[in-house]
Amino acid sequence: MKKKVIIFITLILAITLGWATRPTTAHAADDSLVRVQKKGTLVMGTSPDYPPYEFQATVHGKSKIVGMDVAVGEKIAKGLGVKLKVKSMSFDSLLVALQTGKVDMVISGMNPTPARKKNVDFTHLYYQGGYSIVVNKSEKGLYHDKDSFKGKTIGAQTGSTMYNESKKQTTDTKVKGMTSVSDLILALQSHKIAGVAMEKPSAQAYVANNKQLAMIPSHFDLSASDTSAAVAFKKGSTALVAAANKSVDQIRKQDLVNQDYLPAAGKYLKTNTVNTSMWHYWKAFLTGIEYTLIITVCSVFFGFILGVILSLARMLHGGVVKTLIRWLATAYVEFIRGTPMMVQVMFVYFGLGLIVNLPALTSGIIAISLNSGAYVAEYIRGGINSVDDGQTEAARSLGMTSGATMRFVILPQALKNIWPSLGNEFITLIKDSSIVSIIGVSELIFQSNIVRSDTYRGVAPIAVIMVLYFIMTFTASRILNHFERSMQHD
Amino acid sequence: MTKPVIEVQNLAKDFGKNSVLKDITEQVDAGQVIVVIGPSGSGKSTFLRCLNLLETPTSGHVAFNGEDLTTLDTKRVNALREQMGMVFQGFNLFPNMSVLENIKLAPMKVKGISDAEATKQAHELLQQVNLDDHADAFPASLSGGQAQRVAIARALAMNPKVMLFDEPTSALDPEMVGEVLSVMQQLANQGMTMVVVTHEMGFAKSVADRIWFMADGYIQENSTPAEFFAHPQTERAKDFLSKILM
Ligand SMILES: Nc1ncnc2c1ncn2[C@@H]1O[C@H](COP(=O)(O)OP(=O)(O)O)[C@@H](O)[C@H]1O
Ligand SMILES: [Mg+2]
Repeated sequence: MKKKVIIFITLILAITLGWATRPTTAHAADDSLVRVQKKGTLVMGTSPDYPPYEFQATVHGKSKIVGMDVAVGEKIAKGLGVKLKVKSMSFDSLLVALQTGKVDMVISGMNPTPARKKNVDFTHLYYQGGYSIVVNKSEKGLYHDKDSFKGKTIGAQTGSTMYNESKKQTTDTKVKGMTSVSDLILALQSHKIAGVAMEKPSAQAYVANNKQLAMIPSHFDLSASDTSAAVAFKKGSTALVAAANKSVDQIRKQDLVNQDYLPAAGKYLKTNTVNTSMWHYWKAFLTGIEYTLIITVCSVFFGFILGVILSLARMLHGGVVKTLIRWLATAYVEFIRGTPMMVQVMFVYFGLGLIVNLPALTSGIIAISLNSGAYVAEYIRGGINSVDDGQTEAARSLGMTSGATMRFVILPQALKNIWPSLGNEFITLIKDSSIVSIIGVSELIFQSNIVRSDTYRGVAPIAVIMVLYFIMTFTASRILNHFERSMQHD
Repeated sequence: MTKPVIEVQNLAKDFGKNSVLKDITEQVDAGQVIVVIGPSGSGKSTFLRCLNLLETPTSGHVAFNGEDLTTLDTKRVNALREQMGMVFQGFNLFPNMSVLENIKLAPMKVKGISDAEATKQAHELLQQVNLDDHADAFPASLSGGQAQRVAIARALAMNPKVMLFDEPTSALDPEMVGEVLSVMQQLANQGMTMVVVTHEMGFAKSVADRIWFMADGYIQENSTPAEFFAHPQTERAKDFLSKILM
């Protein structure tokens, strides 16, 4: 729920910023098609945890996003004469990414509902499916359709049409929303919920790959727009939509989805589930560790520099300019410490993205550095205050300037005093860097989600990353302790 | 007659409503050893700190070698401070640096001399205070007497024209007072100009050229040790001496 509010706020912000920084597309000439063709690439946003629409598969030892939606994207890109680039992020973030220009189009099994149509433009439908409910095979006899779940809980992907319809069209049934379908399947298998509502092709994929699952028809009363998928473009990109529609119409006419795309996706699913041991995915986990460490180390580094600057700025005294700088630094620290890191990450990626288009990894590092700097500044300020005044007097009496005194005498001692706090900050960042998974950076959490949707195994990847996180934090704290001891002279 | 090294004119210092130094006019000539004595809280430390501008005077002037510190910019004040070494009651050694590094820091960072030269000089100074075998020790492992001698060597490393001592022995165990005083005596013998705040009356009698007795924000008496200890002029001084010599 909270996440939704945050997304809503970011969206509003993004739109307002958009208004402020560029003319609205309604009035401006529609250059959407020309822009994409000039770029030579068409960036597609998708949430790859929804087989067979889109999912991660290991192709020739490399993790890759595949599925029927990717095939649709390829077809559209080819029709425009440009290259396709696939960007993955959580389903919730997709439309924001489209509004803020992070992606050119969204293909993610998305239903063109009236509510969504208000914010984005859709192509014609490329696929018409239906809904099924996945249940545990052992309980298949108990359920027939959506009306069999009285007093029980069913699950659906948060923000999806199924979620809203399940709420509307069932009575006495609780609906539980989760961001990823793999989580829902896990909840089903651990009997937290009795069924999972999802689109028929997805249900088929899950049932085919997991012997403990079965599917039943949903019998939801649905309009065509609720059961079908279309490609979303930014509002007002009429030319681009028209061009994409040519490809979409071909797909429908030649029934390419059923004839080509779904069978091809099915093949990936099969090869995918041959080996679901966690060892088989060591590369995916390694990538996760790599990114987690890159983000942490970079953020600690820049956060530290920022922290030093902020703490010194907060100790300025004197004229109007110095007072103003001190005031700004104080305001910054208070503001950052008073807002959630998740909002900051989304703000940097989506909000700042309106002015400069930053890659997700860079945005993540910037956001976490900005955040960490505020906390480090407070530690350093405390550390500086903890150094005896006599040290400053001794240094000044030797003719050292206040700058040299700070740099050579006070800061080294302050840092030694706060080393344990800085170490804690580092370890906290190893864990907190997981927040950037929401903008699609392939750090450890993100990678584990991929492995989960890839293997249809819910718990094992979580256990693996838990151990991996522990190994990282434990090693880090040993190393930091070692340095702490070697700094001890008194 | 050469110019005085330090000239203090109508110096006053207030901390808020607390007027600590009221009106002090004195001078220190080259090679002189001045011992400042007076009851605790009478402003001796504040006075000493005003001499090298660690404390900014509320009014009045402090001149060093003829240059009025109170009218100079920070850069020039820093430059003049180099020439006034200061030794504190609490040593104030840098705990994160070895003895050698403590001594080398300012010459290298302020004067910009080379590491090799600074090291050589530091060893010479350590020999002078009898501590060369402790060059690599850290301050925490030193006794109080050793730490204070290192602090003196550190101040001397800047080649000061004047040395200011603020109760250098009052934080020491009695058996260590002697080793510090003898280093100071040696300095005085070499002709160093010194202003020493101390309660060591033996040192004052044998080493001082002048005694300044401070009380109630004024230098109440300025005389030779012989005069001062034999014939104190003011009631304040008589009272002080009777208490301290008891
Ligand atoms: N930084 C300061 N702020 C306020 N009052 C001070 C400060 N330093 C000294 N004082 C006051 O000035 C008076 C003289 O102190 P000080 O110079 O240390 O005396 P002494 O060294 O003779 O014992 C004391 O009353 C002390 O409380
Ligand atoms: Mg004092």
